[in-house]
Amino acid sequence: MKALIYSEKASEITDAIGFLHVLSEELNQDFDVYALSLSSEEEVSKEGVKGLEKIYIVDKGTTKAISDVLSNLYSEHKPDIVLGPTTKNSTEILARLAAKNELPMITEVAGVIGLDGDVHLEKPIMGGRALAVYRFTTPILATVPAKKFKPKAVDTTPSIEKLSLPEEDGYKLIDVKPKEKGAVDIEAAEIVVGVGRGFKNKDDLDLAFNIAEIMGGEVGCTRPIAADYNWLGEDRWIGISGKKIRGKLYFAIGISGAPQHIMAAMDSKVIVVVNKDKNAPIFQYSDYGIIADLYQFLPVFIEKLREKLGK
Amino acid sequence: MNIAVLVKASLDTNMLRVDSSGRLLIEDTPLAISEYDRNAVEEAVKIKEAHGGKVVAFSLLTWGPIARKEKDAENVLREALAMGADEAHLVSDESLLPGEVGITAQVLAKLLDEHGPFDIVLTGEASMDMLSSQLPARIAEKIGASVITYVRKIEVADGVVRATRDLEDSLETIESKTPVVISVTGEINQPRLPTLLQIRRSFAKPLNKYKLSDLGIPSIVRKLDMAEVKLVTVSRKNIVLEGDKLEDIAEKLIEKLMEEGVVKG
Ligand SMILES: Cc1cc2nc3c(=O)[nH]c(=O)nc-3n(C[C@H](O)[C@H](O)[C@H](O)COP(=O)(O)OP(=O)(O)OC[C@H]3O[C@@H](n4cnc5c(N)ncnc54)[C@H](O)[C@@H]3O)c2cc1C
Ligand SMILES: Nc1ncnc2c1ncn2[C@@H]1O[C@H](COP(=O)(O)O)[C@@H](O)[C@H]1O
Repeated sequence: MKALIYSEKASEITDAIGFLHVLSEELNQDFDVYALSLSSEEEVSKEGVKGLEKIYIVDKGTTKAISDVLSNLYSEHKPDIVLGPTTKNSTEILARLAAKNELPMITEVAGVIGLDGDVHLEKPIMGGRALAVYRFTTPILATVPAKKFKPKAVDTTPSIEKLSLPEEDGYKLIDVKPKEKGAVDIEAAEIVVGVGRGFKNKDDLDLAFNIAEIMGGEVGCTRPIAADYNWLGEDRWIGISGKKIRGKLYFAIGISGAPQHIMAAMDSKVIVVVNKDKNAPIFQYSDYGIIADLYQFLPVFIEKLREKLGK
Repeated sequence: MNIAVLVKASLDTNMLRVDSSGRLLIEDTPLAISEYDRNAVEEAVKIKEAHGGKVVAFSLLTWGPIARKEKDAENVLREALAMGADEAHLVSDESLLPGEVGITAQVLAKLLDEHGPFDIVLTGEASMDMLSSQLPARIAEKIGASVITYVRKIEVADGVVRATRDLEDSLETIESKTPVVISVTGEINQPRLPTLLQIRRSFAKPLNKYKLSDLGIPSIVRKLDMAEVKLVTVSRKNIVLEGDKLEDIAEKLIEKLMEEGVVKG
């Protein structure tokens, strides 16, 4: 079979090849692999990507221009499977290709399962609370999460060809502003204190920062706190569209418990919840729940914590 | 300015019904407007308020049984009407269940062509239940429009739309001719809460229902076979810490955190 990979960073080619290796084991079939990459020749060789025939390199451009290039490669190679990373641009670019050729597509494949000769693909749905299981079929498109599937050692070294972007008509890029990068790595934190819309003002977040400081952790948040209110940086945003955490403790305060948020914290060892609404869905996901107004409970808790920990 | 807005009645992720063996009961789980589709409706109404024209809402039912779920989908469209959409159209047909995004695009495109042309088609960035983010590009292809996804700001001037895309590492502004399909993020605006009067008035606005045969689509071809929907197991202690005074609860919590080895005294 043949596969075509779209990638922005060279490491995403490795992610997709990892997926193909897992799939190939279940299908008992090998893949001839081609890739289109937005990264430079140096980045590609630095990543040391192996296991494919050829990498086409193209400059960065609009999603429209890039999807046109990918579409030409699709027509040329007629691959059985087209893969890309789970980024927003890649999702759009693959969806455009799927639309043009009326192909099925799975956004974010999280697993490959072999079931007596039948191969199934899993995809998180409902904010990560459930998995949809699809029967593998070809041709098919899918986006592959980072670092999920590990490639086997192989030694085919790809040749490289440079392609150019098409002229654009009636659709142009006007401006690109890089986002400021935050310095907090909550994915590596052992203790995360999470804040949600139960906090009424930005200044009140000091309560959470105090707890994080005493316990030696970081503050994380729900999407509205970072993206709607801009109270905290996007580096602290936990959820399916943000970061995943997996430390010893997640202390969720004033958060309702939408799966789109809390499922990204389910690898934490202990989950503590403070919410004033006893029916808030987040209690289902808690080890220890406290039904209280955070403005009343947190000051008391902070004082006790200082006392007990001698800080 | 004619604006279409696509609103999905999604499985309500906060109201999932599960049986004793941990199976997800889709039939019993209610449908609600997909979270960011509310933002799409708000943006559509805002553009109408600024530039005139009309807002037409479309939805296609993707979960059954129709007898129970069609009402939920109607309520979703009523919500769009109460927020300021002028008319609404709903497709519900047994053969479309469970939904497949390529087919949803094909069927909704047919309806859009019948009721259009539209200058702008607004959608959410991803549906709350399926999270596919494919519909915007798929519908654009079908109706011959361009597409701009993950948009958190829209500016409209004659025949041209400027939209700022909110990407992982950057904000990217695209200018496109109309017709254009735009998917919006939850951050683009603050959806209005309709007043009681607006809700009451929404019942006087047209809400039309269609079967596939009404649209002249004789049959559809499925490309993907969804074999199963599995719940992800979540097992937690679910202990509620109680006490007469907040001090007691705080102490209990600290005790538990020490027992768990999370903090050290
Ligand atoms: C496609 C998609 C992707 C998404 N991605 C993400 C994501 O990555 N991350 C994310 O977080 N969300 C995400 N969401 C949004 C998610 O569905 C929820 O809307 C969001 O997580 C809710 O944030 P919240 O809990 O802070 O606010 P709310 O839902 O408003 O909850 C606030 C909670 O605070 C409680 N509260 C209020 N006052 C007090 C008080 N004084 N004391 C104690 N408790 C109080 C309330 O009882 C309530 O439960 C996504 C949604 C969709 C559709
Ligand atoms: N069945 C549907 N009916 C109406 N709109 C839909 C439907 N499915 C998807 N959409 C729209 O397309 C967006 C993206 O959906 P999805 O591709 O499923 O993630 C949603 O936010 C809706 O605006």
